[in-house]
Amino acid sequence: MQDHVEDNGANMISLPSYLFLSFIMFIAGLVVMVARKNIIAILLGVELILNSAALNFAAYTRFINQNLEGNIMSLFIIVIAAAEAAVGLAIVIRFFQLKESVHIDDATQLQA
Amino acid sequence: MFQDILFICSAILVIAGTLGVVFSKNLMRACTLLLGTLFGVAGLYAVLGADFLAASQLVIYAGGVIILMLFAVMLTGGSADKANKFGIEKIMGMGSVKTYVIAGLTVLVFSLTIMKLLASFLKGYQKLDELPAFTSTVDKIGTMLVTDHVLAFEISSILLLGALVGAAVIARPRRG
Repeated sequence: MQDHVEDNGANMISLPSYLFLSFIMFIAGLVVMVARKNIIAILLGVELILNSAALNFAAYTRFINQNLEGNIMSLFIIVIAAAEAAVGLAIVIRFFQLKESVHIDDATQLQA
Repeated sequence: MFQDILFICSAILVIAGTLGVVFSKNLMRACTLLLGTLFGVAGLYAVLGADFLAASQLVIYAGGVIILMLFAVMLTGGSADKANKFGIEKIMGMGSVKTYVIAGLTVLVFSLTIMKLLASFLKGYQKLDELPAFTSTVDKIGTMLVTDHVLAFEISSILLLGALVGAAVIARPRRG
């Protein structure tokens, strides 16, 4: 970290590059959530969006203020994503037992 | 120098995995590519100096969530056959080229506008070399979790217990 090999101001590890990567992940997650019709694929898109949010928190806490609140927030985002994946996939498996389908348009009734 | 290489590799992994999740037709393959994306995000955390976050990202996502997703994909019989390149079934009224072009352009315009607005606030950003040197964050995060954020910590434990019991109850096969 301390070696200043070339200091021409073209360092790519900066806040905008992190924001750009997080932006790509967010847009891809949004496209997956909108375009896919499989419920598990939609959950994949949700995971992408949660990861982009957590990456933003970690990047801001490193580049803007050097306390660790953003890391704590990313940690809770990871915990919530794990809980969401567990319950969501349980719902998907139950839905598949009832309807023999994982298509999102088949999920129209709350009670079988 | 090592950080630059790690950042480039992680960024390439993130972008390639993300595009693979979007454009892959096979759902098993999409799950595996999502695993690549999550590994890349862990590498980005490591570049940021968030070592505890990188380790927990690897453990929780690679060990828990992706395995769970793969189990769910296999239990529900993989992906459907009647799908086009984006994994969309051909339904009338959606999925035409026109709607996707319009939606993509709208999303792009909105996002670029928001990022442009944000960039004006961030003109004076710092580079990584000018920041204080890396120190381990594990002991600080542990101290903060049991002092400042102890309520959120306990609530998240209750949330995880509820999610565990709820998932077991929901996925249980019912008889009669």
